[in-house]
Amino acid sequence: MSEVTPYTPREDDSLLAAEYVLRLLDPAEEARVAARLAREPALAAAVAAWTARLSGLDAEVIEATPRAAVKVDLERRLFGLPQRAPFWQRAGLWQAVSLASLAVAGFLAVQSLQLPEGPARAPLFVSEIAAEDQSLRLLAVYDSAAAELRVTRTAGDAAEGRVLQLWAIAGDAPPVSLGVLPSDATTAVILPDALRAGVADLVLAVSDEPPGGSPTGLPTGAVLAVGQVNAL
Amino acid sequence: MATAHDIEDLIARVALGDRAAFSKLYDNTSAKLFGVVLRVLNDRASAEDAVQDAYMKIWRHAGRYSANGMSPMTWMITIARNTAIDRLRQTRATVDLDHVAEHLTAPGPNPEQSAVAAGEARRIAACLDELEQDRGAAVRGAYLEGQSYADLAARFNVPLNTMRTWLRRSLQSLQECMAR
Repeated sequence: MSEVTPYTPREDDSLLAAEYVLRLLDPAEEARVAARLAREPALAAAVAAWTARLSGLDAEVIEATPRAAVKVDLERRLFGLPQRAPFWQRAGLWQAVSLASLAVAGFLAVQSLQLPEGPARAPLFVSEIAAEDQSLRLLAVYDSAAAELRVTRTAGDAAEGRVLQLWAIAGDAPPVSLGVLPSDATTAVILPDALRAGVADLVLAVSDEPPGGSPTGLPTGAVLAVGQVNAL
Repeated sequence: MATAHDIEDLIARVALGDRAAFSKLYDNTSAKLFGVVLRVLNDRASAEDAVQDAYMKIWRHAGRYSANGMSPMTWMITIARNTAIDRLRQTRATVDLDHVAEHLTAPGPNPEQSAVAAGEARRIAACLDELEQDRGAAVRGAYLEGQSYADLAARFNVPLNTMRTWLRRSLQSLQECMAR
């Protein structure tokens, strides 16, 4: 390297930034620069400035349209198989809710509500929201008199640093958030007005979301468990 | 044709997990990004893989792009270019260069500095033409084709250290010319 003209440190860093942007450095030098970037704003600014300067050459790139299959492939890699079915059917989980499990659910529901005896009680609905492999299972009981949906988690939990979010789906409409489930095993939510009349046809689902819940108003993470609501 | 503002808007929506926005972003930018990776890799099959990898990074890192004066296309092209170069050099020890995309926006320049640099960008072709022909071609080879010092030394038939000296002098001249 004796041939290289000595530079003042400032100039040297600017040229080093240029070499970094151009990917001229060997992997070890590249790693050293990368490590410095995190703590040296001046060097990071030099990298950004060279990126902007050299971007003028982007105009010399001849555009080329990739084959349509490239996008299809990309979306499959990112989002899974493209299908037209509603997302909860796509998850292929709700079919796992067997009649037997519903019968158990019904029994548990009666137990957990400690229902008053008598003919005048309002209709009750129940749903077992379960993962196909039973790694996550929740029991939801809806009391139409109080419009209250009581959810009890009987198996599984949110992943570390994630939360579980409960959704209601009516027909083909987009999922409506019923909120993030607290870490407690049991919670109660009031069903939104618009969903009450059609409760018997609702599908409930639980998705994996970042802390605080989905930032978009729609499930962003994996749908972990799904269950159909049934009249008891 | 989508404006820089449209692209920025799409990236912001992609950061929120909006798949429709991602689809639109791809439709608006993939010809450019594919052109970039194809130029580096010079092979359609590899370029198709690389452009997919690049968009996967864009999907993952969209939240780290923030409007700071850096053109959203420059941000995306940088990701695509680096992805293609990583692929080109796969046989070497690999360095995860995802962070390159991050550092463009992290402590980076303020919007004014970026605007100045963007203004300079328009002069790069003229400034490269002021350099000796081979030297301008070497800078273009490094940027557009992802050539390393070793590749360039072989191409211009000079020792590697000579190439490094050449190129650093060229970059210094380039910086001075562009700042004029």
